[in-house]
Amino acid sequence: MKLILLLCALPTIAWPAAKVISLRTVPAQATIQGARATQQFLAIAKFSDGAERDVTAQAEWRIDKPIAKLTGTARVAPLADGTATLQATLAGAQARSLIKITNATASQPVSFRREIAGILTTRGCNNAICHGGVKGQGGFKLSANALYPADDYDWILKGGGYQVLTSEVKGERIPRVDLKNPQQSLLLSKATNTKPHAGGKRLELDGDDYKTILAWLQNGAPFGDKNAASLTRLDIFPSMAVMPLEGQHRLLVTAHFSDNHTEDYTHQALYTINDGEVASVSAAGVITAKRRGETAILVRAAGQLASAGVGVTGAPLTNYPKLTSNNFIDDHINDKLRRFQILPSDPATDSEFLRRICLDLTGTLPPPARVREFLASRDPSKRSKLIDALIGSPEFVDYWTFRYADLFRVSIFANALSAKGMAEYWEWIRNNIDTNRPYDEVARERIAIEGYKPPSRHFLPYAVIATPQEAMGEQVRVFFGRRMDCAQCHNHPYENWSQDQFWGMAAFFSRMFRMGSIVMDHPTNMDLGTKDVGGSMDLLHPRTKAAVKPAVLDNAKLAITPEGNPRRELARWMTSHPYFAESTVNRIWGHFFARGIVDPVDDFRSTNPPTHPELLAALGADFVKHRYDLRHLMRTIANSRTYQTSHKPNSTNRDDVVNYSRALPRGIDAEVLLDAVTDVTGLPEAFSTAITDGATVGQAPTGTRAIQLRDPDTFYSRFLELYGRANRGAVPERSNKPNLSQALHLLAGSTYTDRLSRPNGRLAKLLAAGAPDETIFTEFYLAALTRAPDAAELSELKSVLAQRTDREAALREFVWALISSREFAENH
Amino acid sequence: MRHPASRRSFISAGSLGFLGLSLRNSLAADAVNPNPKAKSVILFWLEGGPSHIDTWDPKSNSNFKPISTNVPGIRVSELLPKMAKRMDKFALVRSMHTRGTDHPQATHYAITGHEINPAMQFPSVGSIVTKELGPRNAVPAHILVPKWDRTRQYEEYFRAAFLGGDYDPMCIPDPAKPGFQVTDLSLPKTISQASVDSRSAFLKAVDRRYRELNDTADHTNMDAFTAQAMKMITTPAVRDAFDLAKESDKMKERYGKDSIGQSCLLARRLVEAGSRFVTAAGYHGTSWDTHSDNDKGHRDRLAPTLDRTLTALVEDLEERGLLESTLVIAMGEFGRTPHINPALGRDHWPNCWSLALAGGGIKPGQAIGKSDERGANVIDRVVTMGDLFATIYHALGIDWKKEYMSPIGRPIKIANSLDDRTGSPVMELLG
Repeated sequence: MKLILLLCALPTIAWPAAKVISLRTVPAQATIQGARATQQFLAIAKFSDGAERDVTAQAEWRIDKPIAKLTGTARVAPLADGTATLQATLAGAQARSLIKITNATASQPVSFRREIAGILTTRGCNNAICHGGVKGQGGFKLSANALYPADDYDWILKGGGYQVLTSEVKGERIPRVDLKNPQQSLLLSKATNTKPHAGGKRLELDGDDYKTILAWLQNGAPFGDKNAASLTRLDIFPSMAVMPLEGQHRLLVTAHFSDNHTEDYTHQALYTINDGEVASVSAAGVITAKRRGETAILVRAAGQLASAGVGVTGAPLTNYPKLTSNNFIDDHINDKLRRFQILPSDPATDSEFLRRICLDLTGTLPPPARVREFLASRDPSKRSKLIDALIGSPEFVDYWTFRYADLFRVSIFANALSAKGMAEYWEWIRNNIDTNRPYDEVARERIAIEGYKPPSRHFLPYAVIATPQEAMGEQVRVFFGRRMDCAQCHNHPYENWSQDQFWGMAAFFSRMFRMGSIVMDHPTNMDLGTKDVGGSMDLLHPRTKAAVKPAVLDNAKLAITPEGNPRRELARWMTSHPYFAESTVNRIWGHFFARGIVDPVDDFRSTNPPTHPELLAALGADFVKHRYDLRHLMRTIANSRTYQTSHKPNSTNRDDVVNYSRALPRGIDAEVLLDAVTDVTGLPEAFSTAITDGATVGQAPTGTRAIQLRDPDTFYSRFLELYGRANRGAVPERSNKPNLSQALHLLAGSTYTDRLSRPNGRLAKLLAAGAPDETIFTEFYLAALTRAPDAAELSELKSVLAQRTDREAALREFVWALISSREFAENH
Repeated sequence: MRHPASRRSFISAGSLGFLGLSLRNSLAADAVNPNPKAKSVILFWLEGGPSHIDTWDPKSNSNFKPISTNVPGIRVSELLPKMAKRMDKFALVRSMHTRGTDHPQATHYAITGHEINPAMQFPSVGSIVTKELGPRNAVPAHILVPKWDRTRQYEEYFRAAFLGGDYDPMCIPDPAKPGFQVTDLSLPKTISQASVDSRSAFLKAVDRRYRELNDTADHTNMDAFTAQAMKMITTPAVRDAFDLAKESDKMKERYGKDSIGQSCLLARRLVEAGSRFVTAAGYHGTSWDTHSDNDKGHRDRLAPTLDRTLTALVEDLEERGLLESTLVIAMGEFGRTPHINPALGRDHWPNCWSLALAGGGIKPGQAIGKSDERGANVIDRVVTMGDLFATIYHALGIDWKKEYMSPIGRPIKIANSLDDRTGSPVMELLG
């Protein structure tokens, strides 16, 4: 512990001007039960510069009565029963906590349940990638982070291990303990690497943990009280640890048990940090800042997971300005920017704003005339008027129909749908967007609909992908922003979800039935005239083989009738759960900011915390208050100062990617980019397909935009493939990263070469009208970049042009360069 | 105080698992073939699923007679006379047991080793091989030829999913069609060197202001890709690899002048030039899916083209000294039913089926596994898709026990077998 003490002893001298105004200790009172228990305390000082910092290591600690002693920094161990006061002093400020001690002298043997399971966790033995993996490692299995200590105890004392698909215990019965020769136990010899251990050395021979395990073995390796309360939740203080560069912050982990008592688990938890470049964390939960930024620390103990945010701030800025706030979004964003001493970029220029809002709301670039008009307008409320004009416009309906057709997977091939069925499903989506139907209604209908009408008949999980668990997994991902898949075969390694919860949720979808190769939802009100219809299907738990009853994640009691459709109850429960609103607003937020408050937008889990939890909650509440109105949500976002910020970085926010201090440039989605190429060149894309089934013909009507294709997967487009259009065979995941094939296509592909030689485009028309070079450059800049070229650019363009004898060819090369540029291909 | 070094390495391995591969890989060192012979793979894709009992696993419930081959003890259907004479170059597996009862499901399974899951997309075996081995000689490493004209969804199964677009197959048109040309590999004639230079100069002028403000990794990557693309476009060997005009008419005839033969011929050219994994999928237009009149289809259309092209490919590779470094696999997504349906066809049968392998260090002249007397069930030596993948990886010197972490931290076995197990290489095949 020497190194840690040394670091702690360093004074926080980075802010000589700041004085301690007040001091508080955390927790304010604590009960320490039993001789083995300890309690960690923290001292938090408020400074004259407004910041709060952890000064636990700098404060002087004293206990007023000899019933307890200090071990390590501000950690209290019991000596005798009674009450005492712990006092912290720093720079003249004082704070006190009350300590109550019970059972200080009762003898307490080391138990598996608490001490040994804790060591297996803190030493990483039961980590999901080691013995805590689905099948363990090297034939030795432990439950992840000691979720099931009784199973672990059996596997250690008797051998064998968990099987994914059966409840039988299989595997070699090798006991990991030798009670006659405790020191020879594999539990010790492997962990100390005295016997070769693929996981390396985990324990120091004769270290504290080694001695604890040895004492436990020598005492007959007791499990402990089987009926003892179980750990239900971990609380971490603080939920967001903010510290300056070179600063430190200590975490306090409190375990809550099923009998409502709490214990300090700071020293029984395993700490891992998501981004080790930003900060490091010690085994005692002390975070040391390394560079400016934000990350999260995951805390694991007794099968439970929790996480805390970590923020390392830059040097305080003198005269941090008051930031503009247009609405509650800005209040939250500004608050955190100030805490981190980051200045947002300048407001976006009218050009930047116009291009961005048109792409984000309509997936369509504004034509030059609209650009000129907007830039020329002196109306102070022109931005909000534009937002109102765009929301609900035909382009808006096209674009959001496309976005939701993606998310809801309208696809002939992936769904094995008829063209007619697919078209009905698409119409259903379009109608919802067009009428701005409340999103909870949309979700409920999609989750619970029965029979042959859209979206049921044409919805993939019922049409071709058969299993209830997959249908459930998709709904949870789309409407809850969560991925339960891992829990299908085992308890989720990064989330507090068990396999039983997974199957309980899946059972809501078990009333689907199969007719031939088609799987349909259970049609309670349909008579299809076949004996296949009408029965309910029991979903069997893969391990226990028992029929699973539908059960929601929080075990809420739902009124499910045996003959009813349980998905109706599920749909009601899901859409009234806070997860629904929060994951929906997060998905939309991610669309406008290239990053979710939880990111990826559909990967909510306790180990992937939001960057702005209060903002997320506020957006969710506002969404509910406004009856799940997506347009209202978009309008609120688009009118915020945060959204209307430039992408041009300043000296304080160049590295910031999580605080929305500037717009993050991102690649434009394939379909939108192709439409933009079409608009700029004035040459439409011809979409053709070989499918001639029903509603679809071989050729999309001339002028059809990529975002207007109802059944895009029947249309070939090398461009859309290369730029990553979504595969609707699964919940879409797009990656707009450049790749080699794009580079080849840029150089030699038809989108960028053949197209430019075609007649009747923007260039041909300008040439025919006898436009001078400068007009041509400007028109194309307005069309592609929503801005005119500046003087330096114009002069450089002219000089490149002058080097070519063939003017028309050279201007084609200019257009090629324009649509190949990053400024064009990105939304910024 | 713990050892800082071990503590740190443990933390990185133990966080969300993205860095967890290092630990797993150190445990799996025994899973790498120290002397791999294969450098590339040609997958001859028999779309639709051949009837195993009418081809490589002759049975009495086939209407075709078994014939002996040049390997004593191995008999094949009379529909494969050329292969019979060359059986000493091939190994057969007659005990494939896989998943997926319809084409999309079974094709997905055969190409990724996983059943379709709407919650995630899996990388294909070709993408994995490409990622593990890397490209050679600037030639595109992963090719699918010809691309599907109708059911585009199948192409998705061959993609790299979370491994990234660089490992997606380049899907090229049918080389047997007149005017065959590979897109994006050569500049159109209208683009002169002066045009190329002028384009670059304009691009610099347009992009300068923006890129000075936003210096992102994406931009740097795109520059590198552009340089690489330029090299490919200007390297004659790359274009030549796709140029079937460089083959004699006699050679074209030998493979067959249809899309089946020309795809395999092109596959050989590509492998010769440096490609890693080429899927020759020439059966789009004449699928093995013989739900009606199975015998006529196998006798008149399917078996003769397979017999001709597969033998030509293996002989040609051998003549060029490429057979040892090229693993050839001829297979479909499943076999066909032992019984004949009312339309005189045979339906889908993933339960028990056959495939053929050659080259790449595979020990030829043997038949692995046994089916029952009707070809309905495997009775000896089940080979799963995970086992086949593991065999491919082993032949190429890739760690077949490897797992990739999906973006959300789910470990994905590259050789996924039944019941969530990792497959094992069929060591009998590997000599």
